[in-house]
Amino acid sequence: MSFKITKMIDLDSIDFLVDVEAPEVAERFHPGQFVMLMTRVEGERIPMSVMKVEDGTISMFIRKLGKTSKELRDGMTSFENVIGPLGHGIEEKVYGNIVVVSDAVCGHAENYAICEALGKIEGNHLTSIQTFASKKEIYPDEYLTKSIADRHFITTEDGSFGDEGSYITTIKRLLDNGVKIDYVFGGGKLPTMKAISTILAINNIDNLFTTRQMMVDGSGMCGACRVYLDGEMKLACVDGPMFDSRKINWTRAMKRYGMFKKEEKKANDYYEAHKGGCGQCQK
Amino acid sequence: MPKIKPRVPMGEQPPLQRIKNFKSVPYGYTEEEAAEEAARCIQCKKPKCEPACPVNIGIKEMNLLIAEKKFEEAYLLVKQDNMFPACSGRVCPQENQCEGDCILKKFDEPVAIGKLEAFIADWGQAHKIDVENTIVNNEDKHVAIVGSGPAGLACASECRKYGYAVTIYETLHKAGGVLQYGIPEFRLPKDIVDEEVRKLEDMGVKIVLNHTVGQNIYFYELTSQNDAVFLAMGAGAPKFMGIQGENPLDGVYSSNEFLIRANLMKAYKFPEWDTPIDVGETVAVIGAGNVAMDSARTALRLGAKEVHIIYRRTKEYAPAREEELHHALEEGIIFHELVNPIRFHGNDQGFIDYMELIKMELVEKKDGRLSPQPIEGSNFYLGVDTVIEALGTVPNRLFLDRAPEIKRDKKGVIIVDENHMTSVEGTFAGGDAASGAATVIKALGEGKRAAKSIHAYISMQNK
Repeated sequence: MSFKITKMIDLDSIDFLVDVEAPEVAERFHPGQFVMLMTRVEGERIPMSVMKVEDGTISMFIRKLGKTSKELRDGMTSFENVIGPLGHGIEEKVYGNIVVVSDAVCGHAENYAICEALGKIEGNHLTSIQTFASKKEIYPDEYLTKSIADRHFITTEDGSFGDEGSYITTIKRLLDNGVKIDYVFGGGKLPTMKAISTILAINNIDNLFTTRQMMVDGSGMCGACRVYLDGEMKLACVDGPMFDSRKINWTRAMKRYGMFKKEEKKANDYYEAHKGGCGQCQK
Repeated sequence: MPKIKPRVPMGEQPPLQRIKNFKSVPYGYTEEEAAEEAARCIQCKKPKCEPACPVNIGIKEMNLLIAEKKFEEAYLLVKQDNMFPACSGRVCPQENQCEGDCILKKFDEPVAIGKLEAFIADWGQAHKIDVENTIVNNEDKHVAIVGSGPAGLACASECRKYGYAVTIYETLHKAGGVLQYGIPEFRLPKDIVDEEVRKLEDMGVKIVLNHTVGQNIYFYELTSQNDAVFLAMGAGAPKFMGIQGENPLDGVYSSNEFLIRANLMKAYKFPEWDTPIDVGETVAVIGAGNVAMDSARTALRLGAKEVHIIYRRTKEYAPAREEELHHALEEGIIFHELVNPIRFHGNDQGFIDYMELIKMELVEKKDGRLSPQPIEGSNFYLGVDTVIEALGTVPNRLFLDRAPEIKRDKKGVIIVDENHMTSVEGTFAGGDAASGAATVIKALGEGKRAAKSIHAYISMQNK
């Protein structure tokens, strides 16, 4: 199988946008869902968020880290597999005053997809808050939620633009100013999600956050993405990927990320040594 | 009674060599060896082996043909009853089936029926023997099959023989189900699985990969576009012990995750293949079924120095096939009987560090069954770097949650009538999805029988 890459552009120094033709996935996609990407036959099944679907094409934000993104940068023109959509989409209905937050590549994609879908529904008022590392890392306007949200805020971790810190700073400010928030959607970095879950609990605000974990098959078979909701085991792939952040055991969820650090480096080194050019293998 | 010759031994990679590779453990019989072994069959008037086979292969005649070196005929004969002999010959628990009822067992070892089946299947593949199926044209009738594991494949081949247009929907990016993602290469080489699947496609069966029914294609689409539907999605969701300290810890896998990484994603070829697998020096596998043995032996091949099997009963109760247990022990797997884990302890990096275990004893219950009970105060510790939980599987709720009209029991196993039909008319089910976790051959048998019911059902609709 082959899925053609139709567009690839830099969003900032570490993320890029990739458009790929995947009509069947595009036709059935709902915001909140994710896809599994295999760059090549020998590839890993990598869970990815979708920013937008249009005319049989899906747009994704991909981080320029690891081997996969190196392959992309080195001129990959198609993917072996785009599988999905997987997981549950959000309910597309009237929520009232909605805040959508994100502070990492996948989160920004989800933020866009959610704003676009819920903005079309009368009765929803959308505030979107996006966090970047610094001013120079802010995505180009057309890939921000600026044009599709009713209100848009940018925060930077170093304070070089907008509020300083994560989206939490802005949410706190809104709450302090007496803004009524009916529902929060979000995704991105785990520590920020852990921190905001407490604020949402104190203020009793309903919410859904993407708790996507390490996955292998993405269909409930491997159990790698297990998370604990009020002590009960759930699988992010089939029960989620979005859950009420107040119920998640974030400390448990955050610990799962060290497992393949060694292997990631090995994969990178192997790729660098085998991508062609050095001539060692011809000897 | 004439003197019975001893069983022809099968060559195997020596244990110390094979734990360093993923190649098949047995070398397979040569033509001479196969003929000699098949000639041990005494050609019973009423063979007991055949009714003991879940797909009722004509074993007696197969043995006769192999003994006479009529290999092509033997191959075609076996293929009539079982489209997947290369797989079942390798993974069936023959000791409880055909070989268990072989009359020779009273005097000596039974005929090596499984090994002969695998031999003849490999011979057929190697000599590219085509099975000509006279297919009645019924292609205006459509059958959809959910899942490309043994039950789905068997049902597909039979339905195709009845002439129906057959489409299999598979969640993963490769067809074969447990044959592909679960059973390791050294026990069931994937080329062989791929070849048996390809034969099915040659018959005209369409396989649609990357489609999960209930997720990116809906059940009602299948029922509205097909004359019958067969559900064979297996029991693919892992069980976890749920003991204290389990999930914050890295290095704890379900056997499903471990084997999917190793088999389907070929993590043993990492970094040439992209999917990683992390195996520490000391590995503990919890459970003693075939999946536990597969996990333990895979861990060894991935470089573990020490692999422990942790089992709460004694060895003789281990549900694994005799051969798997034997191979595992030969390879140096350490088997702990009568112990059960009660707690995992992690290190400061969040990795598993050691396990707390408790000794067990078998206590006779009122009904006479022996039940393992913990011996109080017998706690001890085992330092481990990786834990693999091989505790069995349950039906995946992904599909069932989205098709509530299909009745199932408390465990999520689909309820079927004697014709394999579910509570939804025209929708049938078989394999692990309808019987809980069982064996490959049982699933093949159910797929085959369900196809018969599907044929009867479709024929009746058109009267």
